[in-house]
Amino acid sequence: MSLLKLVQNNTKSAFFRCNEPKIFLISSRKLSIVPSIYDGEDPAPKFFSSGIQILLKRLTRPDFAKVFRKRNNSNISVLRTPKYKFVTDEELRMEKLKADKSADRLLQMPPVVKVHKPIDDVLSIDPALIGYDSAKYLFTDISFGVDNEHRTIIERDPDGTLRSCDHAERKRLNQIYFPMQGRKIREPLIFQDEEKFHSLLDRLQYEYVLDRACVQYEPDEPTYHKLTSITYQHIDLKSMYDLLRSTRHFGPLAFYLTWHKSVDNLMLELLQSADVREAVLLLALRQALHGDLSSGEESSALVSQILPTPVQLTKKEQLSEEDIQLDTKCIECVDKYINTNSAMKSQQGLALQGFREHYQQLVELSRGLKKAHGAA
Amino acid sequence: MPLPPASGTGRYFVKAAKSIRLIRQGCTNRPFYHISVTHRRRLNSQAVIEQLGSYDPMPNTNNEKLVALNLERIKFWLGQGAHVTNPVGELLGLAGFFPIHPRSYMTAWRNRRTERENQAKAEKSTESTTTEV
Amino acid sequence: MASKLLALRSLISKPLNLIVNQTPQKLDFVYNLKSFSTTSVSNINFFNKLPAEKLWKSVTSVSNAGAKKGRGKGAGRIRIRDLNRGQIIGVGKVNMLWPGLSAPVIRGRELLKQQRLPDDPERMEKLIKLRDSMTKFRRLKLSPIERGWSGSRMPGRSIGPPDPVVDEEFTGFDTKVLQLRSLLIMKGTLGRTRNYQAMVVTGNGQGLAGFGIGKAKEAPAALRKAKNRAGKKLMNFEIYDGHTIFHDFFTAFGKTKLYVQKKNKGYGLSCHRAIKEICQAIGIKDLRAKLEGSNNLQHIVKAFFIGLLQQRTHQQLAEEKKLHLVEYKAENQNYPTVVASPEYVRTKEEIPKDETLDFIQYVMNDRVILRRKKFPRFFQTMPHYEIYLKKYEKYRNHEKIRLNLKAEYGEIKSFLNDKYPEPKEGKEE
Repeated sequence: MSLLKLVQNNTKSAFFRCNEPKIFLISSRKLSIVPSIYDGEDPAPKFFSSGIQILLKRLTRPDFAKVFRKRNNSNISVLRTPKYKFVTDEELRMEKLKADKSADRLLQMPPVVKVHKPIDDVLSIDPALIGYDSAKYLFTDISFGVDNEHRTIIERDPDGTLRSCDHAERKRLNQIYFPMQGRKIREPLIFQDEEKFHSLLDRLQYEYVLDRACVQYEPDEPTYHKLTSITYQHIDLKSMYDLLRSTRHFGPLAFYLTWHKSVDNLMLELLQSADVREAVLLLALRQALHGDLSSGEESSALVSQILPTPVQLTKKEQLSEEDIQLDTKCIECVDKYINTNSAMKSQQGLALQGFREHYQQLVELSRGLKKAHGAA
Repeated sequence: MPLPPASGTGRYFVKAAKSIRLIRQGCTNRPFYHISVTHRRRLNSQAVIEQLGSYDPMPNTNNEKLVALNLERIKFWLGQGAHVTNPVGELLGLAGFFPIHPRSYMTAWRNRRTERENQAKAEKSTESTTTEV
Repeated sequence: MASKLLALRSLISKPLNLIVNQTPQKLDFVYNLKSFSTTSVSNINFFNKLPAEKLWKSVTSVSNAGAKKGRGKGAGRIRIRDLNRGQIIGVGKVNMLWPGLSAPVIRGRELLKQQRLPDDPERMEKLIKLRDSMTKFRRLKLSPIERGWSGSRMPGRSIGPPDPVVDEEFTGFDTKVLQLRSLLIMKGTLGRTRNYQAMVVTGNGQGLAGFGIGKAKEAPAALRKAKNRAGKKLMNFEIYDGHTIFHDFFTAFGKTKLYVQKKNKGYGLSCHRAIKEICQAIGIKDLRAKLEGSNNLQHIVKAFFIGLLQQRTHQQLAEEKKLHLVEYKAENQNYPTVVASPEYVRTKEEIPKDETLDFIQYVMNDRVILRRKKFPRFFQTMPHYEIYLKKYEKYRNHEKIRLNLKAEYGEIKSFLNDKYPEPKEGKEE
């Protein structure tokens, strides 16, 4: 596992990276980002474990207004007249459940897995076939009901060797015989051309880039890892996390940052936007992935209390006593983290202090209101 | 549907002899073949029973010839006693589904021979030019 | 007579001795006088016997029977020309200067004399041109923006906002004429009298609109009356999302039946032209209306307004049904949005079995729009169409392939062209 590849205007370390094989420097106008791939420990078991999935989903902060927004890439070319229904309470509940399910489908995270290993599987060698043809023969078994991963695709080389195809060829042939909508056989220009790719990132089209990458590449391809890591680092540098909230890409982003131990910027953003509960969830995620936090145990204990509370999309104006208790616990937990493990102590401390003062006012206000209404 | 589908109409006589063969589908100067099962006595222009794959004999940009085979259905028709023509047999042999067709070996051997001869010729001509000079 | 006088004058102007010398001539003259008769020489003909009025009438009039058949109308009709137009006293064919008539008597210190000026060759042409301009029938030419439904006729044209009522100005309002027609009434004393009736709709495009009918002896007066009456009878309509109606509805007036449908943004107004004008006056942008039965325009307008007024808001509908009203939009992946909830919601057991729960059926009062069966186009059943389909099937993807090749190589070629180059047209020298 290579360490954090985030290099902020630090050309010196970037040059060091250049010397390493497989990792190359992509320079943008202002920032230099070194792409990284999950090539060490396999992240898949941790990513797919139910506890982490729940944490990532909660961190996505799903706002249905954004999840079900009007999309330009949908199949509806012209608008349709809205439909109406009279429903009872029970039916409405069922409809909401159905909507939750479809939201889950829309928010399903692209998997985070290790880069695949090259396939090198020789089936037979027949030197008597040398000279039969100067071209390779690629054979695809198109039998019905076999999925792309398990399809038999083999090649007969001009030197008479029969071998299984490598991933690149497999992907190409699968796309030729079983085309996937939106995927191109030739790599799209935005991924080929660095200039174009970076201009997209500079225009903050993160979701578009990630969506296209999702369609074009398999999750275990090195190119996919490279492109997504550049995008995630770009977002991290610009602190544009809000653009990915309520989309399926926020989970992998949070996972990437936590995996590479560079959550401090995200933590700062959470504290500045007064989402102290999500900050604790982020700490719990870090604890689950690495287990190196001093406040780790407390944060994992708090998770079970935070998860049942509804997602906070807007700022609360009144607080109940349970809320106040939970939030003070969260503040303590985060405070401990800032003092012991954080790399951005002063900024995060300031943000937390600001949040505390604001919160104190809110607490007094809601307690005063309660008194005025008569505590019943 | 104005033309019968190239994938086959599915109509056949049970007891009639079948054959698995290449059927040319491309246009002028651009051959493309369907691997189809059809009645042995039927013309290539007539509707086939079922398409079992395809073969593109022109190498693509990566110098590859693409062959698609529906092995499941090929096995079924072989079980029904379908006859396999030589070109299809060669392809199946190269794919490792059949043993290599003797004709493949013959072609390879001939190609090697002509290449050797050409090489010898080329060497001779270079030698003669060098001695002359 | 005049010629004789002239002859006499010529005699007088000659010197006396000449007259004396010409005695035989004098004798002739005397002889002529002898044959002088009192019977008048006929200088009266058809053209100077009758006054111009009657002459014109004889040319332009059409017989009673002809008029009944519709003759003497339209473009070929002969019109009365004023031949005196463009003629000035003192100016004629011969260009003479008449002091005191066509010129001042004294110019400066000089006394002007009667004299002949050089002829003006263009004078006659100008006159003829002027006369011709009177004969041709000229249509009132309107710019396409001002034009109504048909040519220069009034229906469909805009006639501005209603007149202000006691310092209340109708700002932002515009009035459209829907109908302008003449009504003929027989009266005991006056015979057949003509009245004009106008129907207009006025609105500000933001939910306020009204229609009015006005009658008067003259068309402009009728329009003005109708317009002002419409301004006094404004109604307020709520518009759903600023573009359409709240729900489909059925409405009728007399034998006129209207099925009106709510539509999505960008659909436009697909309905009778009068309904279209009304919608524009109100500010509705998307709607479809199907008209059945009588197409009496006044009935259509009234039916449509009644229908709009009888619309129920979503909240009202929910209260009536005592059920939640949920909206599904395809562009939002059919996410259920609750648009209205009643105070008390019924449970499933409380709903009777035969109650209509379908939203459209409920708002249309159980009326169903007749959807005609779609027949194949006339050519699709013909043998040539099948031949065409067979012939062009192999070209079905060519357009896409050309486009892909152009995107990949910049022109229509493939990687095989490098191996086997094609001779190019026009490049051979």
